[in-house]
Amino acid sequence: MIDRDLKDLIDQSLNETIGEDDLRALEQHLFEDPVSRLYYLKSTNLHASLRRRFFVKQNPGNILSCTNHFFTTRRVLLAVAASLVLFFGMLSLWIPSPSVGEVAQVVGAYRDNGVAYEIGEAVEPGSISISRGLLRLDLSNGARITLEGPAELEVFNESRVVLHRGLVTATIPESAVGFVVDTMTAHVVDLGTSFGVSVGEDGQTEVCVFDGEVEVTASQEGEGNLLPHLVREGEAIRTRIDSSVIDSVSYETSQFENAWPVNYGVLQTTGSMRFVSPGPNFHPGNYEDNEHIVVFPERRNILAKESVRVDMIDPGEYAKSHYREKPSLSTGKALTSYLLQLDAYPEGKNPNRRRSVRGQITFANPIVGVITEGRLLKDSEVVFGIPSVDYQTARTIEPRPEGDRRPGFDSLILTADRHSLILELRENPGHLDQVRVLVEAD
Amino acid sequence: MPIENSNSDRHEDFVALYVRHEPAVFSFVLGMVGRTADAEDVTQRASMTMWRCFDKYKTGTNFRNWAFQIAKNEALNHLTKARRDRHVFGEQLIELLAKDCSEEAEKLDARRRALDSCVKKLPEDEHEMVSGCYAEGASIRSFAKQQGASANKFYKRLNRIRAKLHHCIERQLGLGEQVIR
Repeated sequence: MIDRDLKDLIDQSLNETIGEDDLRALEQHLFEDPVSRLYYLKSTNLHASLRRRFFVKQNPGNILSCTNHFFTTRRVLLAVAASLVLFFGMLSLWIPSPSVGEVAQVVGAYRDNGVAYEIGEAVEPGSISISRGLLRLDLSNGARITLEGPAELEVFNESRVVLHRGLVTATIPESAVGFVVDTMTAHVVDLGTSFGVSVGEDGQTEVCVFDGEVEVTASQEGEGNLLPHLVREGEAIRTRIDSSVIDSVSYETSQFENAWPVNYGVLQTTGSMRFVSPGPNFHPGNYEDNEHIVVFPERRNILAKESVRVDMIDPGEYAKSHYREKPSLSTGKALTSYLLQLDAYPEGKNPNRRRSVRGQITFANPIVGVITEGRLLKDSEVVFGIPSVDYQTARTIEPRPEGDRRPGFDSLILTADRHSLILELRENPGHLDQVRVLVEAD
Repeated sequence: MPIENSNSDRHEDFVALYVRHEPAVFSFVLGMVGRTADAEDVTQRASMTMWRCFDKYKTGTNFRNWAFQIAKNEALNHLTKARRDRHVFGEQLIELLAKDCSEEAEKLDARRRALDSCVKKLPEDEHEMVSGCYAEGASIRSFAKQQGASANKFYKRLNRIRAKLHHCIERQLGLGEQVIR
């Protein structure tokens, strides 16, 4: 409860009409009572905020007419001039700084004040806070950063950010090698790679390298941080606020599983669909998973020299067709490819059991073609596949023939908006079910 | 004045951080020194010290806490000089206010943001009153005089508007209103 007398004293202080005795009384009050102190700070904060809000709203004539005492006039004008020099001097350096990138993807990302982020917004040096959701920033040097809320990121320029809290995944092309992510406890320098960084409430930082290498230096002073620590793909480290030592920890990518796919243009996977964080020697040819349809990013921004034959281009459910009836995609459009794979292996008491695995994947850009039959998968491999991966097994999915009502077929549906694929695949131990998805490049 | 390339990144870093935290620093200083014009001077001097000492600021650490520390020292210097002419808050209270202000910084930031929409909800005459009294260089007394009204009447009106804004902020932030006896 706040005393009426205290409120009056604070009002007098803010209005600058308070006498010496009342000021002493206010001081005594604030010194003795933390609740009064907090109320005082809220009041001065409101007073200061109003001052800042209505900064230089009057024209110069009004300023002069408002002040009739010479000393006050001079001091106020000096203060105004000083503030103007400081503010507009700084703003003039700040505002023209070109944007360093743009918001490329938004998955339910909101600012702390509840306003949603929008695709295409310019990224300027300054702070970016998200209360929830995922936000992908494409910086002008080619670096892609996905931020998962709640998080606070300070962007200094296209080659340096500070992560105060939350989580980012970064994909850094050659053009942006040397990209820096700073946190309270770590200085992370990219050496041409993709990696994830998370900062907990206690300032503890974890760095997980999916591909390539990064160099980490602990920010805390001490003997441990003289030399940068090289972290290679498939490795992870941790730095703490109370230590200068960089701890090696087990390579655990699960905390980055939401943010990571967004770097690659996959907005969401649901059901048993799983986007694989890259790691040491991960590729579809050596990855078995009995539980999930696994998604691998293949090639990015590929311009095919010849037309590409695919199994389906129109929304709807996939049905088998003859080779000569397959549609072709014309050349001239840059495409990005992904491979969706179910590679079940025999296990347990009933190694030949055939369960169904269902899932949905949503891409940021429209899907322009889907390839699923063995021959077309092989034909498209040279251009769209991950180089030097050889698939030994027969690959195809078995859609339900028209009019057949028996259970046990695979189903693949391209949604009307062309952004999602819904899959239901039957496990067939020892066989590969694969779908190559071609999506419009950014 | 041309800025050397090696310095320009550092300068940009400083400007970005300072512009973001300036309102918090100004509010922090105003709570200690009391008078608005003095708070402007102290904040101005503190900003210059921050720029001079920016090499010592460790990137990635909390800029606001670092800025508060420098601003507190400037405020203490100012109060030592001012104490010769009039009563000002003593050092012990300044230390307590600095500590509370640092601890409550996030909440005070949220109040500052909430104030925006509260100001927009003010009726036109109250909005005009606040903007007149808080414009740079204006004082309540001078604004009252300009409007041909008594300063006393304006002080009371302004107290009421501030109380109204205070309640609006509490409501916006979903806080229970503080009872005033």
